[in-house]
Amino acid sequence: MPRNGKPLKFAAFPPDNLPVDELTREFLIESQEGLDRMERCLTELEERPEDRDLLAEIFRAVHTIKGTTGFLGFSRLESLAHAGENLLGLLRDGKLLANAEIISGLLALLDILREILEIIESAGQEGQGNDDVLIARLHALQGQPVLSSAASVEVQPEKSDSALKPPKKAKRTRKAKAGGIAIELIKSVPRAAQREEITAIETYQAESLVSPLRSTVNAAESTLRVDVDLLNRMMNLVGELVLTRNQILQMVSTDASLTMLSRRLDMVTADLREAVMKARMQPVSHVFSKFPRMVRDLAQQLDKRVRLVMEGQETELDKSLLEAIKDPLTHSVRNAIDHGIEMPLVREAAGKDPEGTLRLRAYQEGSYVIIEVSDDGGGMKVERIRDKALERKLITRERALQLSDRELMQLIFLPGFSTAEAITNVSGRGVGMDVVRTNVEKIGGKVEIDSHAGKGTTLRLRIPLTLAIVPALIVHSRGQSFALPQGALSELVHLSAEQVQTQVEWLEGAALYRLRGRLLPLVFLGSLLKQPAGADKPREAYIAVLNAEGRRYGIVVDGLADPEEIVVKPLSSVLKQIGLFSGATVLGNGEMALILDPGAIATYSNIGMALEEDEQESVDTAFDDGATEYLLMQNDDEHTAVPLDRVLRIERIPRSQIEQWNGTFVVRFGATLLPLQGLSRAGSAASQGTEMTIVVCLDGERHVGVAASQVLDVASGKPLAEAGTNAAARNVTLLKERITSVVNLDLIPRLPNARLSKADEEQPEMWETDAVIEALT
Amino acid sequence: MTTLSIQTVATEDVIEMCSVRVGKTLYGVPVTRILEILGAHATQPVPLAPSYIGGLAHYRGEVLTTVSLRRLLGMPPLDTAEDILVFEGVDGYFGLLVDEVGEVMTVLPADFEGNPSTLDDRRKALFAGTYKLQNALLVMLDPERLDPVHLTETAQA
Repeated sequence: MPRNGKPLKFAAFPPDNLPVDELTREFLIESQEGLDRMERCLTELEERPEDRDLLAEIFRAVHTIKGTTGFLGFSRLESLAHAGENLLGLLRDGKLLANAEIISGLLALLDILREILEIIESAGQEGQGNDDVLIARLHALQGQPVLSSAASVEVQPEKSDSALKPPKKAKRTRKAKAGGIAIELIKSVPRAAQREEITAIETYQAESLVSPLRSTVNAAESTLRVDVDLLNRMMNLVGELVLTRNQILQMVSTDASLTMLSRRLDMVTADLREAVMKARMQPVSHVFSKFPRMVRDLAQQLDKRVRLVMEGQETELDKSLLEAIKDPLTHSVRNAIDHGIEMPLVREAAGKDPEGTLRLRAYQEGSYVIIEVSDDGGGMKVERIRDKALERKLITRERALQLSDRELMQLIFLPGFSTAEAITNVSGRGVGMDVVRTNVEKIGGKVEIDSHAGKGTTLRLRIPLTLAIVPALIVHSRGQSFALPQGALSELVHLSAEQVQTQVEWLEGAALYRLRGRLLPLVFLGSLLKQPAGADKPREAYIAVLNAEGRRYGIVVDGLADPEEIVVKPLSSVLKQIGLFSGATVLGNGEMALILDPGAIATYSNIGMALEEDEQESVDTAFDDGATEYLLMQNDDEHTAVPLDRVLRIERIPRSQIEQWNGTFVVRFGATLLPLQGLSRAGSAASQGTEMTIVVCLDGERHVGVAASQVLDVASGKPLAEAGTNAAARNVTLLKERITSVVNLDLIPRLPNARLSKADEEQPEMWETDAVIEALT
Repeated sequence: MTTLSIQTVATEDVIEMCSVRVGKTLYGVPVTRILEILGAHATQPVPLAPSYIGGLAHYRGEVLTTVSLRRLLGMPPLDTAEDILVFEGVDGYFGLLVDEVGEVMTVLPADFEGNPSTLDDRRKALFAGTYKLQNALLVMLDPERLDPVHLTETAQA
């Protein structure tokens, strides 16, 4: 999704406009809405002057403005709203009865409040003006006895006062309206004193000049508040459309004219989905905005000095996710101030600025939004973490000795962990980082931590952009399809029928697999779900290695299908009670699939918390600047590699499936053709067996295959440079201290493509299909 | 369908019933309660679900939980796709799987009788009573009693 730095809401603001901060903007929108409500209620009040609900509503609108303006420092608004509030208070308590006079007074107040709001919006401050006339008038209206329409005599508006008013912006229509009310009033209350006053108001209004800045459309007019439920429903419908589109795309592959139409449908659907998702987005500033106050209070409470720096506040995130990260983020900020940043004296002694810096940073990275909470405090002391973990019996002494520093840091995510010396009301109650981690992982996110002693700690929350549509791997178990969210998936292992017999080891009923020398607990999906068993003959299987909320295990399934973007549909409460499914979805082929909940399955199967090196790897790579992860393969004697982020999946196929076409090696999967690379020495490779490995990679939009004798490992590559020129070497990298050539996917021959040339009529059917599949991915 | 005489009494208190068949028995559901009928609709089984859950069905962009009347009555499953009646329940929509949906017929309140005392307890809890047709009996079904939420509660009790 393209990133839009500016919140959609305020798109109507001209870029050269004076900046109005987020808080003020919010206040403006809220106040304008409040005033709109007030206007409606006031007109209704004329008919039903005793309606308490109406009065309460008006009171609320004015009261809200008064409350916020004081805080924002808009004194003009405050004094006006205060005067109005006093009058409304009497009305609300029944001490006064609203009459036309009072209502017109309130409408005048409404108009001037609106004008000031408009000035604030365009100029950033409320402008100069004398509101004494109106304030005095409102004050005078308070003195009226119940049911009396007598005008207050002491208010004799000085016309010179209103003449002093600065040019104000007001809409013509609004003025006309105010005038209309005034005329009505003259008719209804024919008293001399009053008439004079009304004239004064009219002058007051008439003095307002149409500002040249008026071309600015105000925020309230260009935005619309939409019920979240409606947006959810729209999202649902769009999801439905996506599914229907997927089904249509799978069916039209035989009809050329329908193909064109379906492509158009495909594009429109994608755009629509993006637009609806966009509508649900809110800038993270909605969550960030409460931190300055919190940081200030906490710092004072702890006698620390903390400076808060916030970056990337305009980064947008789905509204529901924004709600979900509120608590984890608050926890993290509290932690950073309480445990991270040291006392000013300690900081000074360490040669640091006595004022600590807490940095909140949000930015988008692919389909994730990263929120970083970093402090320049003392960092995490691994010894202390270890001692605490031992003290609280979270790990054994033997285990503690085996753990590296990075692994020890991961201990803070264990439930019940806290290094706080004493329980304060800030932190140290044993609920902390595990809650942060659980909450973030619940929404498909990840938490990473990095800390350097003496320098500070950075906590990274990795949040998916949206919840409603998630990438998932479709797995088969005993004839039924299930969706496995890719967020939790770390790798896939294929086991042949024979390997299932020999390589899965059993320990008192618990199945285990040796994955790179370490035991991985296995859960058989079919038995877990008590699905009726099919034929008893041994079959091949796949192990999906999952990392769910820090627990690592493998789920054994019968088969795999392509990954799909699935639309999550909630389950009814009866089915939620099963506890292993997080929802259901409709697949591209129209079949329904239940979405597996990796965390719940781990809990159900008693999978314990693991402190595996894989987690450490993911942290490592985040800090290895410039290094890319590669999939290392062996092809005959040579080592080759492909960037890991390009790898889609790894397939073992019989050698006989590889065919040659137009000088290119291809392999057919269903109705799609995959061009292959790495088979130039096919003759020599052929002697090595009947099966071979194909690494399916993504090159732009197309899929290509790289053939290899075997896949070795995943490793970080270091860039190499040519001696002398220092020019960065291309297509070669240093992997595990060995020079490895990187496969240039771009060089793999392209297949004739329906999208590029319609002239290729020889095998039109096949190419159309190919293009459709490409469009799908 | 077997020959079913349609009562043609032009009074206002006739009740319109949609007749459905499960096994050999004829059941009736008040037409006003039915949101939609999905004919021969595919369902997806839900592992580990309570036995009476017939599976999931795709209904207007939602995932519909269905209750199988066959399973509720302890009858063997049917090989062919069943028809689904969609009702509004406590917790959103739910579906009822039946062998076959018949026709709409009118019944008279006067022909109504409660469950016979000889009926087993499970059926007593599910059936709302019986309408006497000219040459058959029509078992009245009350969607509220078939709501999965209600069924879970009674199963736990």
